[in-house]
Amino acid sequence: METLSHHEVINLLLQLALMLIMARLFAELARKLKQPAVVGEIIAGIIMGPTVLGMAFPELFESLFETNNQTNIALDGFVQISIVLLLFIAGIEVDLQVVWSQGKNALKIGLTSMIIPILSGFVLAYAFPEFLGVNINDRIIASTFFGLSISITALAVIARILMDLDLFKTKTGLLIIAGTIIVDVVGWIIFSVILSLSDSGKTGLGVWPTIGLTLFFTVFMLTIGKGLINKVLPWTNKNLAWPGGLISLSLAICFIAASFTEYIGIHAIFGAFIIGVALGDSEHLTEKAKEILHHFINNIFAPIFFVSIGLKVNFIEGFDPMVVGIVVIVGFFTKYFGAYLGGRFAGFKRNTAMVIGFGLSARGSMDIILALIALEYGLVSESLFIGLVILALLSSIVSGPLMSWAEKLKLSNKSE
Amino acid sequence: MYKKLALAIAFSPRMEALIAEARKLIQIFEGELILIHVGTKTPELEAQLSEVLSRHCGDLRPIKTIWKEGKPAKTILKTCKEEGVDLLVLGALKKEGLLTYYLGSIARKIIRKSTCDVLTLIDPRIQTTDFEKVVINGTQLDFTPEVIRRSLLFCQAVHTQQVSILNEIKMYGLLMGNASEGTEDEASFTRRRLVQEEITYVEEILSELNPGDLKINIKVTGGKWASELAKYCEKISADLLIVGDDLNLTIFDRLFPHDLEELLSSLPCNLLLFKK
Repeated sequence: METLSHHEVINLLLQLALMLIMARLFAELARKLKQPAVVGEIIAGIIMGPTVLGMAFPELFESLFETNNQTNIALDGFVQISIVLLLFIAGIEVDLQVVWSQGKNALKIGLTSMIIPILSGFVLAYAFPEFLGVNINDRIIASTFFGLSISITALAVIARILMDLDLFKTKTGLLIIAGTIIVDVVGWIIFSVILSLSDSGKTGLGVWPTIGLTLFFTVFMLTIGKGLINKVLPWTNKNLAWPGGLISLSLAICFIAASFTEYIGIHAIFGAFIIGVALGDSEHLTEKAKEILHHFINNIFAPIFFVSIGLKVNFIEGFDPMVVGIVVIVGFFTKYFGAYLGGRFAGFKRNTAMVIGFGLSARGSMDIILALIALEYGLVSESLFIGLVILALLSSIVSGPLMSWAEKLKLSNKSE
Repeated sequence: MYKKLALAIAFSPRMEALIAEARKLIQIFEGELILIHVGTKTPELEAQLSEVLSRHCGDLRPIKTIWKEGKPAKTILKTCKEEGVDLLVLGALKKEGLLTYYLGSIARKIIRKSTCDVLTLIDPRIQTTDFEKVVINGTQLDFTPEVIRRSLLFCQAVHTQQVSILNEIKMYGLLMGNASEGTEDEASFTRRRLVQEEITYVEEILSELNPGDLKINIKVTGGKWASELAKYCEKISADLLIVGDDLNLTIFDRLFPHDLEELLSSLPCNLLLFKK
């Protein structure tokens, strides 16, 4: 087995240390400004990457990130694992119980909030593929991807905003959470299907078998898979070290599921996500264990991933104000109106529907992962990728204040 | 609280115990008892039943027994509706959560579709059960204030010694995971706040009720309410668990069983299910 040389090991360790330090520094700064950590972590990456450090101190940047190929491959391994784990934790966050308890209203809100941005995004990207920077050779898939990427939401970001606004336990709050969960599950299913159909990810199975296989895997995991988990977890909880046994085994199950979906031609992240849903839904994965998984993934792997985004892309060179502007405007408004309309369909007053609209507009980590994979598959250009990252950051910043504003409107209406 | 009780009977070894339990309940609630049996009426069965009844209900007016043939669950539910029953008493097995006298799927059907309250006894006794330790589901649901109100009435009637109301913090793992973005103090503040919010929720409901002499504890846990309730009942060896059911269960609930369904699959103790 080939190993890293003395220098490469030092280089890798320094890279990881710097990434974690910078991510922490900027996450703290974001926290002071009452912003999600992901905002700070992305900015830390941009500063450490070719955009700032590479411009200001090209030699330092080169010696850190561009001298040892082997080191970069090892770092990429970390990043890949981080993506899988982020999807795994996103799956664990999915609480199907909340979805069932909210019923049809959540379904209306979740689905409408997806359909409108997907359709608008598709039409826009299909009509202007070159301007927007979607892959013209894979026009349908790439355009669908663009629609999907502006329709996704981030559960963790929304949960935090709802908690800050003291809305988490209200009817509206739970409805937003349930809607987001639906968007998450449906979004990742669609994304997995289109990825396997794209030119670079072709499985050779064709459209319907791919869709069938994806749905089969989902249903299988959430029924029989969950049943198996419910049989195994009580045993591990009783006989193995806690939480050690549970954590190492759940990560192992996550990696197995991820490698399985990758093997059958659906992206690895999908397996990680669905197994996360199945595990998280099991009553035997206690909330305490979930909390530990959260801490461990959110504070070690998430920062490495988000910083790595800034290392890969030059945010100044690739920056196209028109593309970014259009992505941000179309992305934000179509998602807002979709969720707003969903709220109205579900019979809510205008103000509540506005809160729902702004709530579901909050994006974050999921959007960025989606965009990065599309960039790696060659579905989108760098400038479109930058637009999507900026959309994710801006929407996670403005959603909270806008919800608070809309919520106050509701209060003033009440008093009238 | 309950004017008309129905007891579903099959001629099994536990029938006598169930009749004794039902007898005690109608005494407490000053109600009337009817027996429902799905199956063929034969002179032997009639004789067996009247012997048991004379032992336990000899001092009462003759107990009405309804003999019907058909599908057990459907027939029992229909009879309850026709007779205007407000509490249906069933016997059930603890282990598999299967009813003693009917197949599991029938028990589930009865509990799921019943429009009146259902009391499921997993260990009926001829000396009858005292509901000394009662656990109530206080999870924040639309129906919960009403469940707590009715539970207190029930507990007062049966002279419960210790009432525990158990509340669950929804998505605790996610919330605390998010809280790790703050300092240690902020995270522990969040933790305390989450617990306090649940306690306040129950206290507000209780403040509008009259608990009388009942000793009430409020317990807060993280996790899914059904499994947390089951665990807690087992931990304190509760005599009765009370939950409300206002859900319209659909095909999805069978595909992805949750909460109530999970509770039914493995009953931790006797279960009283309030219907909306």
